Amino acid sequence: MMRNIRSVLVLAIVSMACAFSAVTTAQDSPTVLAAQELTRIVPSGFYFQGLSASTQTRNSAAARFGTNRYVISGLVDTSGYSSDVREKYQGFFITDSPMSLGGTAVDVGAYGFGFTGDGKFNLMDLSGKDLISVSTTKDSGLRRPRPLVMTTVGGRLRLYSGRDYVEITSR
Amino acid sequence: MKINYQSGRIIRVLIVLGLLGILEFILSAQTPSKKSPPQQPMGGVSTGTAVDYKTKRTIDITDPKAPVVFDDITDQTTLRNFLHRSGTAEKNYIFEAPSGGVALFDYDGDGMLDIYLVNGSTMSALQGKEKAPRAALYRNLGGFKFEDVTNKAGVANERWGMGVAVGDYDNDGGPDLFVSNFGISRLYHNNGNGTFTDVAERLNVARKGWSTGGTWGDYDSDGRLDLFVPGYVDIQFDKLPPSPSAAASSGIGQNFCQFRGVPVMCGPRGLPGEGDTLFHQRPDGTFEDVSVKAGVSDPQKFYGFTSAFVHVDEDSLLDLIVVNDSTPKLLYINKGNGTFEETGYPSGVALNENGREQAGMGLAIGDYDHDGRVDFHITNFSDDSNVLYHNDGEGNFTDVTFQAGVGEVSIPFLGWGTSFFDYDNDGWDDLIVANGHVYPVVDNHQWGTSYAQQLLLFRNLKGKFVRVGAARGSGLAKAWCARGLAIGDLDGDGRLDAVLNNMDAKPTMLQNVTTSAGHWISVRLIGDISKKVSRDAIGAEVFVTTGNVRQRKDVISGNSYASQNDFALHFGLGTATTLDKIEIKWPDGSTQTVQTPGLDRRLTVAQNVGVLK
Repeated sequence: MMRNIRSVLVLAIVSMACAFSAVTTAQDSPTVLAAQELTRIVPSGFYFQGLSASTQTRNSAAARFGTNRYVISGLVDTSGYSSDVREKYQGFFITDSPMSLGGTAVDVGAYGFGFTGDGKFNLMDLSGKDLISVSTTKDSGLRRPRPLVMTTVGGRLRLYSGRDYVEITSR
Repeated sequence: MKINYQSGRIIRVLIVLGLLGILEFILSAQTPSKKSPPQQPMGGVSTGTAVDYKTKRTIDITDPKAPVVFDDITDQTTLRNFLHRSGTAEKNYIFEAPSGGVALFDYDGDGMLDIYLVNGSTMSALQGKEKAPRAALYRNLGGFKFEDVTNKAGVANERWGMGVAVGDYDNDGGPDLFVSNFGISRLYHNNGNGTFTDVAERLNVARKGWSTGGTWGDYDSDGRLDLFVPGYVDIQFDKLPPSPSAAASSGIGQNFCQFRGVPVMCGPRGLPGEGDTLFHQRPDGTFEDVSVKAGVSDPQKFYGFTSAFVHVDEDSLLDLIVVNDSTPKLLYINKGNGTFEETGYPSGVALNENGREQAGMGLAIGDYDHDGRVDFHITNFSDDSNVLYHNDGEGNFTDVTFQAGVGEVSIPFLGWGTSFFDYDNDGWDDLIVANGHVYPVVDNHQWGTSYAQQLLLFRNLKGKFVRVGAARGSGLAKAWCARGLAIGDLDGDGRLDAVLNNMDAKPTMLQNVTTSAGHWISVRLIGDISKKVSRDAIGAEVFVTTGNVRQRKDVISGNSYASQNDFALHFGLGTATTLDKIEIKWPDGSTQTVQTPGLDRRLTVAQNVGVLK
């Protein structure tokens, strides 16, 4: 009898744990926003290192984690910047909750970013100071790459630039 | 809870597998990822890295073993008297950089190709402080002799010209000219007596703003040509962006647009773009703007440069491609109900194979691999390759630039006009590219490129291209800051010649002197307007079969870079001594097969009639 009660308790705990995990997963699982939703949250311009530049709506993407946490990213027109800035700075990255980019922690904030030819994703603060640099993954099988998109694969969010991507996970 | 031996074994196995997985994860995390090959930044025009080169890579490249393909005979013709002008030599503003196109067409119906050269303008001319530069029409007298008939014809334009597209919009047998301007565009109606009349205002096609490479085509199959015109940048003279000359005088480098750290003219990125316009021709001969209704208005206001109506898929409806600068290219598939579906991204044409937007300038259309479908070659900015899209059928394209051999060599060049044409008449369409930079300042630096640049000519070896070397002193060895390019057989000798319109300079006339040229046939079409086919048969497809080789060419208005190639379709036949058949698919979907009385001749074929001469 006691053995049966213990079995029921263990099963109940496991079930609760599974249920909690499922709720947590649902809250943390990313949903890529549709194009029409982007117009509400993608800024038309972005300040970085002394200049404001217009953003490219067609090359912007956003995802929602859970119910109300967002990451937003997009390319900007960098024509007004000097060449050395343009080599590093291609777009903006905004998150309203702590995230992990390629396994490296990123706090709430607005940043500049760039995918570089050496297979790195670099995040900078608004003064242009380097914050993190993580390796990107190449998706050689991608059929129609785009300048910048977000997509989910296996419940994980990827930020693509062409065939290169970094994973974004919530913390 | 009872755990038996079997269950325990499964759990132990799972634990081991789990540990192995964790170990593999740790190891993989510690193992450096494979280094990806260098690639250019995404999303914009690459400005390249600040590498010093020992040579310009775009001039003075000759091959002593190369055959002479083109002779530059400009100075032997009256074309030497034409001077193109566009703004200042410094190119302070973007509107000074892209002019202008050139057209090869037979305006007087004498069977010889005439030449129309678009001219630019200056700020002083716009303000009435100096005489405006004039476009020019040269009548072909034969034997590379030309007569300047601009005054008599009345086609001087005297506005800031960008491009030209030929189409007989009123089906009266005289080819008309749409001249796109930075300012108000013109439609020169051919009066049939050697003169033209600007009817743009009267017919509602006097497009304002910045019009570029337009195209004529009957998209709704009503027998009347319609007109599509891309828009480039929305420039206001009272809100001009900072100029590089101002930067030099102030000593300020920041807040000016830069190329490799040097102030240059701004744009197009950072400047507002302009939408595109489709003019539908009504039964009374006037036009109406149906851009929005047809779904081709370009609401994102991409920077349009060159366009063409062409059959992309397998139906009989004319589709439309628009080449944009620094923004995605647009491919509109005709739905047959007066509207188009934009398929740039899913078709593969919007971006290159790495998902990058490129600075598209010019467009060549042709079936380079004899699979019966038209492919696209598009020219781009320097530090980026031109791009070749292979048509896979059903509106799908694959970027085959580097596999086909036209990628690597094109990187230092800034390309404009381009065309598929069979320069040696071997039965395979070769590829030509006119080049020239937009920043004069590149000549002051060792950036591996130059303001004036050589042409690129690629020979087609059954679907793969190899660059044709430049023989010393030949046309391929010289350099110009070229823009427009048009192809046609100017002397009727069966070898295709080329004309370039060059920035702030005289044009270039290149006589094809290839000695190894094969047999050929040239086909000019006359549509039956009673069958609702325009008289100049724009949109017709011609297939020429010799043995097991079947070539395709289309009658296309516009393309290259804001220019017009001859409407006559020239087929190289190689060593073939007989031609099996000529099949024509007319714009109304009907087909016609004709026989030729022999090779090495020019045929005129009338719909439902046959060979006229």
